[in-house]
Amino acid sequence: MIPAVQELQDAFQTRGYVAGDALATSLRLVVGLGKPLLLEGPAGVGKTEAAKTLADVLDTRLIRLQCYEGLDAQSALYEWNYARQLLHLRAAELRGDGVADDDLYGETFLMPRPLLQAIREPKPAVLLIDEIDRADDAFEAFLLELLAEWQITVPELGTLSAVSRPHVILTSNRSRELSDALRRRCLYHWTEYPSRAQELLIVQSRLPGINETLARQVTDAVHALRALPLGKTPGVAETLDWASALLSLHADHLDAGALQATLGAVLKLREDQLLAAPTLQGVAAKAQARG
Amino acid sequence: MADAARSVSPSLAAQVTAFAARLRRQHGFLIGPGEVRDALRALEWVDVLSRREVRGALRAVLTASPEQGRTFDLEFNAFFRAAGQPQPTLPPLLPETPAPTEPDPDGKEQQPPDREPGPDPDQRQEPAPPTPQAGADPGGDLPDGDALGDGLDSPDGDEQDAPVMQARVSPNAAPGEALRVDAGDLPGLLRAATGLIRALELGRARRLRPLPRGPKLDARRTLHAAARTAGDAVHLRWLGRPRRAPRFLLVLDGSRSMGRDATLLLRFAQALHLRSRRVEVYAFSTALTRLTPLIRGAAPGQPLTLPDLGDAWGGGTRIGENLLRLARDERGRVNRDTVILILSDGLDTGDPALVGRALRDLRRRAAGVVWLSPLAATPGYRPVQRAVAAALPHLDALLPAGGPEDLHALGRRLRAARLSRGAAPPVS
Repeated sequence: MIPAVQELQDAFQTRGYVAGDALATSLRLVVGLGKPLLLEGPAGVGKTEAAKTLADVLDTRLIRLQCYEGLDAQSALYEWNYARQLLHLRAAELRGDGVADDDLYGETFLMPRPLLQAIREPKPAVLLIDEIDRADDAFEAFLLELLAEWQITVPELGTLSAVSRPHVILTSNRSRELSDALRRRCLYHWTEYPSRAQELLIVQSRLPGINETLARQVTDAVHALRALPLGKTPGVAETLDWASALLSLHADHLDAGALQATLGAVLKLREDQLLAAPTLQGVAAKAQARG
Repeated sequence: MADAARSVSPSLAAQVTAFAARLRRQHGFLIGPGEVRDALRALEWVDVLSRREVRGALRAVLTASPEQGRTFDLEFNAFFRAAGQPQPTLPPLLPETPAPTEPDPDGKEQQPPDREPGPDPDQRQEPAPPTPQAGADPGGDLPDGDALGDGLDSPDGDEQDAPVMQARVSPNAAPGEALRVDAGDLPGLLRAATGLIRALELGRARRLRPLPRGPKLDARRTLHAAARTAGDAVHLRWLGRPRRAPRFLLVLDGSRSMGRDATLLLRFAQALHLRSRRVEVYAFSTALTRLTPLIRGAAPGQPLTLPDLGDAWGGGTRIGENLLRLARDERGRVNRDTVILILSDGLDTGDPALVGRALRDLRRRAAGVVWLSPLAATPGYRPVQRAVAAALPHLDALLPAGGPEDLHALGRRLRAARLSRGAAPPVS
């Protein structure tokens, strides 16, 4: 059963993820059309979280492949347990038995990595290929075959077709331009920072114990910070971290002391903290005036 | 909504096909029969009576970048608009950046509306996202169930306020006209590009890779090879650290005073791109624009034709604001393998402190930052321009760029500069 867009949005929201219409529609198409979705956007807007939440909503397994420079197909697909194969060879030698290729290259010694795991899952899993822009061009090209054919060739075993077609979500921070070929194989969605109202909703969903004043002040302050030319713009995760830090200090509003004590939760560069000081002083002064 | 997909009516299918053809013809979207088929299939999975869902589905299938997303939204509204609704203005398919501020009559800088700092967040405008965002679908104010073409879009003007890029008077481009750059001496520029790439020594990668020879035994591959020789490790395999290949980020000052030199660097950027795929090109005048897709799509040896670059070409100079925008918005494209080449004469009307701040940030993350100045090619040049003086402490080298001969010498001069951090930037 594939939930409708509105149902999907509701299900996401009950799990603390506020998905807009466009994202919810894209995710529905991932499930309905069986096409991968390329999610792009700044760091910290919830791209990875969208995949996790989708897996939770569909009640299926999340399989994550974290990409990095130098990631090769073997690390992503499968490996042979060479040490165990050698022990098997030695043991057979001592027994005086012969060893056939089929013995050596069988399931016993195969170690599936995320991509192979994903296509062998009986129930369609959510396959998260995280930060694909960090991987090399060669790995991106390798993915094209998998995403088009949904099959993997293991030289010793032959071609393994997908038992079930996974719901694939790729994320990218645009640190490298992805090829047109990959883009054409994917649905596309650009994720931006949430609006003020959405972010307030996220804070209240994720931190049910927070009072509305504090939630609103934190959200407003983060939006004021995002308007500054910061080196590292705070994402939604930083908003939640900040609100959690304030809650742990039993703060019920954002005053100068609480702000100073928890600033490191939202601004992670010293230069940013200095740059934002006047803005944050204004936020604290206003909060104090209201209090 | 039923789980089973429903077929799309022939009239809607015809509309979608025509819409896709329009995007392909007028804006160069990479849409073929496969994409049209997917678009029609996508409509089977959404509520076709909901304008938002239809738009979301078509956008997910037919677009591949945020720039395309913006153009898509405007075209969608134009194509499916109700009778009497005015035709929105469409921007060119280029990364849009809000124009930096002009000084007001009091001499104070006005902040751009989307980046206005201030003490009172309540009184500040909401930052305007560059593209429709996940939750802030431009059609989000419409009630669900709005049929296609059933009326005006959201009144918040997100899609109505199509920013219009205006060209400035320029030696290369008249307002609203394309920029044409002669092919020039491509073989010579290719040699200069090769020389530059070879001259850069960025050291070795941290990650070990399989190499024919190396300092570390590759146990996995050696054991794998040993399986073929009954467990005896006859063929040893090695791991090593490969050389780090440089990435290039070229930032061209396309202001009026830079016309001839900027076009030379554009051709050089194209040549560099033919030698290395890891090249990003930006141009700025009063605003910043990414030119990489245009450079990538240009035919080698042919004159380079670019669409009207608006505020990124032929206007005034705002070095600090644009470098800061680059450092902030495109920081993902700068890493420890990136060599940043800035071409500018340093004649700036903006705040030089911004130049220093932006370059400090960029240099911290890049392999090196090199400033190329046409003025530095003149005898007796002293780096006294405010922007250059502010940049100097953060540069690895300040080099002349007065003509092709300087580009040919670029690799040699950079090798001499060694891109060594902490050393005073050499001025040639």
